[in-house]
Amino acid sequence: MELYKFLPKTNCKKCGKPTCMAFSLDLLQGKVKVDDCPPLLEPKYKKQYDALKELLGSEEGQQKELKINIDDKLCDGCGICVTVCPVNARYCPSSLSGKAPDYPPEKHQLFQVIGGKCELLKIEYCRRLEAGGRERECRVCETYCPREAVKIEYV
Amino acid sequence: MKRFTCSGCSLLCDDIIVQSDGLFISEVMGACLKGKERFDQVSAKNRITSPLIRKDGELKEVSWDEATKKAIEIIKNSSIPLLYGFSNVSCEAQDVGIKLAQKINGFIDSNASICQGKILNKAKSLGINLTTITEIINKGDLIILWGANPAETVPRLLNKVLFSRGKFRMTGREIKTLVIVDPIKTASFRVMGVRDLPLIIEPNKDIDLIRMLKEECCSVDSIPSQGVAGIDKNDLKRLLLHLTGAENGVIILGQGVIQPHPDYNLVEELLELLQMINERQEKGRISLLLMGGHFNMAGFDHVALSSFGVSGKLEFKHNQLIKTDDTLVSKIEKENFDSSIIVGTDPISHLPHSLSSKIAKKPLILIDNHHTATSHIAEVVLPTAITGIESGGLAYRLDQVPIELNKIINPSNNLPSDEELLNQLYRLINQGGSE
Repeated sequence: MELYKFLPKTNCKKCGKPTCMAFSLDLLQGKVKVDDCPPLLEPKYKKQYDALKELLGSEEGQQKELKINIDDKLCDGCGICVTVCPVNARYCPSSLSGKAPDYPPEKHQLFQVIGGKCELLKIEYCRRLEAGGRERECRVCETYCPREAVKIEYV
Repeated sequence: MKRFTCSGCSLLCDDIIVQSDGLFISEVMGACLKGKERFDQVSAKNRITSPLIRKDGELKEVSWDEATKKAIEIIKNSSIPLLYGFSNVSCEAQDVGIKLAQKINGFIDSNASICQGKILNKAKSLGINLTTITEIINKGDLIILWGANPAETVPRLLNKVLFSRGKFRMTGREIKTLVIVDPIKTASFRVMGVRDLPLIIEPNKDIDLIRMLKEECCSVDSIPSQGVAGIDKNDLKRLLLHLTGAENGVIILGQGVIQPHPDYNLVEELLELLQMINERQEKGRISLLLMGGHFNMAGFDHVALSSFGVSGKLEFKHNQLIKTDDTLVSKIEKENFDSSIIVGTDPISHLPHSLSSKIAKKPLILIDNHHTATSHIAEVVLPTAITGIESGGLAYRLDQVPIELNKIINPSNNLPSDEELLNQLYRLINQGGSE
């Protein structure tokens, strides 16, 4: 949100993103650079451009990778992350009612409880990477874990 | 894909995927850590695989014939045997256990009697509904945990009742309100959202809260301004509004409120409060769910009810059921027994020393699948197959729903199931009687 404040907020789509908000999120993850926003290079946005450059500092340009860490020592396999994950819910409808998903897992499925511990099967289809708009800020697995075992971080 | 039922705790999750070749279990999917432990017990280090008899103070491996002969001898030499446990076995085994108790004129009781048995009877007499897990998933909108910490004792309970999305509750977590009443901030508090109501109560002050709610029932205006039992006025207001406004509320009682107190009966007053709320409420109601530990804790009451019309403890004299005021605790306290048959439980480490030392004085036959503190003092140890993994049977879930357990692998060392073993003892005693 800090970054969004300094963008033009015109949603001109010149950068190739649908909104300035989407651009700011990508900026945060280091997928795009400040220079990718054409209006920012115009003289009237000079102040904001400088502020952004300063905010991002040395981090700019480094691709940050999304990681969902599940602490094996804390996890007790209650399966709440399996139930609440919206991607799981879409592709394995049985997990909606708290039922354990089938095995072998569906190819989009993110979480599965194996051997009493939750395992992250794959991360490619996570909403933080796939979805657009506000859905990209999805954090349900981290929020609802009663053991605080799930951690979302960018490395 | 075939799914199995987990017998790790009283929730009896019926969606477990097990990969096995009929002899060993290679992978368990969907079960929580507690369930996984149950499956691991098959090849655990402390597993008993052959019958044991105490000779010169030490347990020695013997043949089945010798072990059962010794067990029969102990049973025959005692006039009032005490049969206790029966919460980790199937309903079929419980039925045979009751038959055996009738044959040998014993006193039979399950773990539920010192845990949750009385609450059920009281709830029935007050007309409070017992709800089921599916009903909470599909219709529930208020979940109260009172002295219960399911995040650590029944791990998948919160997942099912709070997060699952059902027919009339498509949004799942968002539409359900969670209220927790507990003296300490347990792990269950971490799933709390903004709309939920965490109530940290002062220890042993539950009774003040309940009595206040009973007096002021449904009138928000007359709540004392300084609050009650460490809970401030606004939270009490919210609690009352939740209690009286719920369409399909459920109160989950854990071990925290079951502890007996000499001056008052906490659970009884709590149930009376629920009855009061249910009477005044027009559109909704609050129902009850008891959180048990052992997987077939609820079963014994049902089996006893169906065979003798009495739920809970049974005492027999001259092969007839007699009315008794004795409870398991008073029976042990007065030492009104002269031998004990313990089935699938560990009273020596669970009961306080004043009681367990009295059990240890009398000859003890243990029917279990693991070495426990009880097996260290037992005269005879008869091992059995693990119900739900090595043998099948019926069990009652914590919401009193019967669920079928299946056999997944063959028992190690061809151990008999609890039902078969108790049946064999029953047969042997019958033969002895006719001679």
